[in-house]
Amino acid sequence: MKWWNVLLDRLRALRQRETVINDIDREMRSHLELQVEANIRAGMSPAEARERAMRSFGNVNRAVDAAYDVKGGGLFETLTQDVRYGARMLAKHKAFTSIAVITLALGIGANTAIFSVVNELLLRPLPYRDAERIVMLWEVSPQGRHQNSTSRGNFRQWRQQSTSYQQIAAFSDQRLNLTGAGEPEELSVQMATPELFKVLGVDPILGRTFLPEDGEEGKPAVAVLSYGLWQRHFGGQPSVVGQDINLNDKKYTVIGVMPRNFQFHIQQRSGTGMPAELWIVLPMPTGPGANERGRFLSTVARLKDGVTVDHAAAELRTIHTRLSNETPEFNKNWAAEVLPLREQFFGNVRRPLWLMLGAVGFVLLIACANVANLLLSLATSREKEIAVRAALGARRTRIVRQLLTESLLLALLGSVLGLAFAWVGIKALMMISPKDFVSLQSVGLNVTVLLWTLGVSVLTGIIFGLAPALHVSRLNLNDSLKEGGKSESGQASGSRRLRSALVISEIALAVVLLASAGLLIKSFIRLQQVDRGFDTDNVLTMVVPVSVARYSEDAQFVNFFVQVLERVRHLPTVRSAGIVNYLPFYGGLGSSTGFKILGRPEPPPGQGPTCDVRVADSGYFQAMGIPLLRGRYFSDSEERESRHVIMINEALAREYFAGEDPMGQRLDVLMFDTPQPAEIVGVVGNVRYDSLIDESPPAVYFPHSDLTYSFMTLVVRTDGEPSAIAPAVLREIRTLEPNQPVSNVRTMNQVMSEWVARSRFNTLLLGLFAGLATLLSAVGIFGVMNYSVALRTREIGLRLAIGAQPRQVLLLILKQGFWLTIVGVVLGLVAAFGLTRLLSGLLFGVSAVDLTTFATISLLLVFVSLLACYLPARRAMRIDPLSALRYE
Amino acid sequence: MAKDKAELLQGTLDMLILKALSLGELHGYGIIQRIRQLSDEMLNVEQGSLYPALYRIEQKGWVSSRWDVHETGREAKFYKLTRAGRKQLETQEASWDRLVLAIAKVRQAT
Repeated sequence: MKWWNVLLDRLRALRQRETVINDIDREMRSHLELQVEANIRAGMSPAEARERAMRSFGNVNRAVDAAYDVKGGGLFETLTQDVRYGARMLAKHKAFTSIAVITLALGIGANTAIFSVVNELLLRPLPYRDAERIVMLWEVSPQGRHQNSTSRGNFRQWRQQSTSYQQIAAFSDQRLNLTGAGEPEELSVQMATPELFKVLGVDPILGRTFLPEDGEEGKPAVAVLSYGLWQRHFGGQPSVVGQDINLNDKKYTVIGVMPRNFQFHIQQRSGTGMPAELWIVLPMPTGPGANERGRFLSTVARLKDGVTVDHAAAELRTIHTRLSNETPEFNKNWAAEVLPLREQFFGNVRRPLWLMLGAVGFVLLIACANVANLLLSLATSREKEIAVRAALGARRTRIVRQLLTESLLLALLGSVLGLAFAWVGIKALMMISPKDFVSLQSVGLNVTVLLWTLGVSVLTGIIFGLAPALHVSRLNLNDSLKEGGKSESGQASGSRRLRSALVISEIALAVVLLASAGLLIKSFIRLQQVDRGFDTDNVLTMVVPVSVARYSEDAQFVNFFVQVLERVRHLPTVRSAGIVNYLPFYGGLGSSTGFKILGRPEPPPGQGPTCDVRVADSGYFQAMGIPLLRGRYFSDSEERESRHVIMINEALAREYFAGEDPMGQRLDVLMFDTPQPAEIVGVVGNVRYDSLIDESPPAVYFPHSDLTYSFMTLVVRTDGEPSAIAPAVLREIRTLEPNQPVSNVRTMNQVMSEWVARSRFNTLLLGLFAGLATLLSAVGIFGVMNYSVALRTREIGLRLAIGAQPRQVLLLILKQGFWLTIVGVVLGLVAAFGLTRLLSGLLFGVSAVDLTTFATISLLLVFVSLLACYLPARRAMRIDPLSALRYE
Repeated sequence: MAKDKAELLQGTLDMLILKALSLGELHGYGIIQRIRQLSDEMLNVEQGSLYPALYRIEQKGWVSSRWDVHETGREAKFYKLTRAGRKQLETQEASWDRLVLAIAKVRQAT
């Protein structure tokens, strides 16, 4: 079927209707003439010949019409007629059109913006080959902590014993210093077993990635660059392959460059908190001295074809149970889990995102109800026009189609403007979103999003257009023609009921959104009020990573930081300064391990106590305002030389030394190859490190001299604006070590604000939508009341004429609006009680059916809608009885 | 209606038009004449049904058309079978033959 021939004919007919008709006409006439000639040849007189021909031909015009049905514009033609007529109608009612289009644009724009994020994060395939076959493997700690890293030993067992995977790779992120070519730079480096790139199924754009033999001992060290690093540090030169670079002063040969958009970053368990820019082979040494048990590895694997995630998970659990039995001292009560990659990346944003999409859906419904309302008012005033068309023989379907075309036209106009809103909205979303929320950074208006918008706008056009269209098409011709279409006829009261219902549902929807936003706002406030255990104001922080190759002895690292601190403490406005290995809320992973209390019976394997382990000096507690509860800080000499002392937090003291004096007790914290009991010298207040929600776990603090790190975070408290001191601090560090890199220079307030970014984002967005919903429903109720006043002008005039006080008229109208609002609010509250449960995972310190919140937002909504009713009510009050009675 | 005229079955008009054109290029009037001749004056196609059918066939790409001068010096629109039209004719004829055969068999059964 050559449908495009039909289409071409139809389109041609649209553009050149005359030409097409002329052509058909010409053919018919030529046919007629041929018949005439034939008749003459058959012996008729010319006149008779023509008459016979005409008779046999029938009506020429009818023939042309019949032919035109095939060749002419058909459906297209009525459509263009409808569109043209609709456009004229919209242009005539400018105020109506602009309000409707803006309303729709807000709804559609919000929908498009949120959908583009949903599409990017939840629907689009991840940028790895067959990404749905990629899974992450984790351990689950005896305390029930999920997504816990694994150890070299366990990883080896997983690799040997599992049969579910094509490849399996372990990796760990680290910060390393890149020196040699160009400026020294501190990088996030992913150390991975050679299978990593096979698992992800991504090829390099230059050179090669790791081969199995790259992992063998004694092979030259190799490195793969990210596209960004290649461009930034190596000027994008292809000759970089084969070049040598230095990482922490160890030599590596560059073997390849990855594509521009390639990254593999497991935010939750990254030791660096930022995507890796360089890949090197993770050493997997065996034999004595090899660290088999430190849990620091993440594991990623590609499932074999036909193997399900559930199957792989069951297998891993079996393997891990076996491991628990074989090595109980290390694996007792540990479990394992398998997580699909998408779940790993976006599992935590999926719920909020779908909720947001639901919320903007509500906003769009409200917008639809509003426009339906406007259309109904318009339709009522168009009753006469439509009655005339019906009387002239237009069929009901034709009239409904005409009205629907108008609605669709409105919806399309709205979606065009909506796309503009969405574009701005997406930009704004990217700006305010937490870093990991839009981790792929490529959210935009693509084809899928545009199709979605088109679909949404057509759907909305039908939704808000159908009710008015059907209503109008059911008009009683007689009544409408007789009356001016402006009084309370039977239909008008029917449409008033419909419009009241629309307004009530708008208000109900707004209540649900406001209730949700209210709950989130309340949780957010609660979250801000949580006692973190430290004072965030006037604190500057920065990470100082020292090259491992430059210093070989622990004492040298310790000494470097002692010197830095001495210099920094002498700077003006600096009140105190200290160091810590991991800041609270820096977004990465701290250490946690088991410990023993000397002189107490040994607990059974796997059931001993655990604690967080931090490295800090006395200056840290002072700079952060963490109170010393008992005992003392580390002394200067303890900070310079290892004396085996520790400080503990309040939680540890309370849990394990209840009713005892912890001072002088000795703990063996399992961080070292050989037992190293350390004496407790002080107790400090609890500090929340990675959760505002969970209580602080027990923690111990080592001085740097006892547990040396190559990088430390500098914490400086100042009098006044903390960021102002940053250049001076950097200058002091560089005086000591000219090439010393420094990163993440932030105030403690910035660190905290990034931490709560997610919940601030949710709150802000839902609050915005709720505000929009409230505004739209206020506009809706205003429209309805305004129209109702117009319809009741006569009645009100009469009331005033027979002695009603203007104040009574005002109350009359307000009461009408008030009842609509109350019904809407009650319905909305019922819905909210059911729906806010969906928020439960996002709430903190507030119940999903918090009565105070519900009461507050109800009052707010009643107030707003009374305000919206006040304007029409005031108009009603000022009606002049005389002119009102003369009206019509 | 004359009793000796056959009624056209639904859907057969297309086939007849294609058949008429398979013998050479023709204008609308000529198609009617040729069908009448070939059917021994039994089939008389009305202009009112010929042209809509002809246009539909043209949209399907089975015939092509052009304006030309008739042998009498009068201009007329001429239709010509395309390759697709020839194929279509074969298909339609084959299925028509099967139908006739089937009906004949059913009728012989009693």
